[in-house]
Amino acid sequence: MSPEKKGFLSNLKEVIYGMAAHDMSRYALRTRASMEHLFILITMGDMIGIPILPPYYSLRLLPYVVPQISTWKRRLLREKDISDAMF
Amino acid sequence: MSLKKLFEQHPERRYVMFGGKGGLGKTTFSAATAYWLASQGKKVLVFSVDPQASLSDIFQRDIFGKGPVKIMDNLWAQEIDADQHIKQYQGEIRQKILDMYGFDQIPDEIEQYIQAASAEPAMEESAIFDAVVDIVVEGSYDYYIYDLVPLGHALYYLSMAKVYDEWINKITHLREEMREYEEMVSRLKREKETEEDQILRELQYIRTRINASSRILTDKQKTAFFFVIVPEEMILVDTQKAAGLFEKFDVPISGYVVNRMIPRELLQVEIPAYLRNRIEMQSHYLKQIETMFGDQVASFVPELERDVTGLPMIEKLAGIMYRD
Repeated sequence: MSPEKKGFLSNLKEVIYGMAAHDMSRYALRTRASMEHLFILITMGDMIGIPILPPYYSLRLLPYVVPQISTWKRRLLREKDISDAMF
Repeated sequence: MSLKKLFEQHPERRYVMFGGKGGLGKTTFSAATAYWLASQGKKVLVFSVDPQASLSDIFQRDIFGKGPVKIMDNLWAQEIDADQHIKQYQGEIRQKILDMYGFDQIPDEIEQYIQAASAEPAMEESAIFDAVVDIVVEGSYDYYIYDLVPLGHALYYLSMAKVYDEWINKITHLREEMREYEEMVSRLKREKETEEDQILRELQYIRTRINASSRILTDKQKTAFFFVIVPEEMILVDTQKAAGLFEKFDVPISGYVVNRMIPRELLQVEIPAYLRNRIEMQSHYLKQIETMFGDQVASFVPELERDVTGLPMIEKLAGIMYRD
């Protein structure tokens, strides 16, 4: 749906979403992000010296986590999570 | 029971392995067994998973890294080139990353990881065992004869397979939980269904590969594992230890083959004391073998007049190993 055609109904839908569900989905996304980082740690752990999965197979998973690698490394170095402030 | 009888009574045991300490004759026995089965009209592939493979030497053909090479009617031999396998695999991973993200080159950080992962000692074992799965799954042979790596490697792999399996279960579980969260968000935002998690699919694939390779080693119906021993103290002690460990990992041990027996007939003639002593030493340890392994000893093979290389010598050895 193009923005100019947005009617009253869809605006209302978004307002209700914002009031009722936005917080929940934000929380769910955050939890999912931490899990993603945990996942990279246990599969690509040998990048930071923690070998867990055999490297032959962790290479298979590597392509899927390429975009997350640098944020993951940064996050490991932080005690406080920056996403707390971002959201 | 003799080796010949064992094979005749159990035609379902299609995966045949000879294991034992280094240099006792695993490759020689693998080649002779392959030769004998092929001459019985069975289609046989003998292959080596050892980085220092010597099938090329015994068949006097350069087969290293060339896929299955036909040696004679019904008989193929193959030596897996682990390095080549790993390089090709790395290349596939790189290409996948380039394709997925439209990069011109692999980011430094990622490239370093690919390099480092491939330098790990576990890499070669995993690569070899993974290649074996391909060979055994794809081939249409009646028999597969493994010229195994020395004992330690096989045990290491078996023990790791159990650990890896548990790990993959845990990781898969985590991944499934992640998907639940994702689905929850899409429901809340009223988006359409999330895509299937590709990582989950890869994890399941990895699990089937690891399980397949360890299952072949531990399949009681289809696998026959033979230990190669010689009548010497150290070998017997080590083999007994190894056999215990193998049993713990459910490797079905079908029997023992005794190699390097000095012919006792020599005692009839004038021989130097040195040789006489060795024969007496061997008969001492043969008695031990008798009490240790009893009727599990499937064949006795004498020291031949020359080393076994080339088909005529292999044929001769097969005749001795598989006599009635």
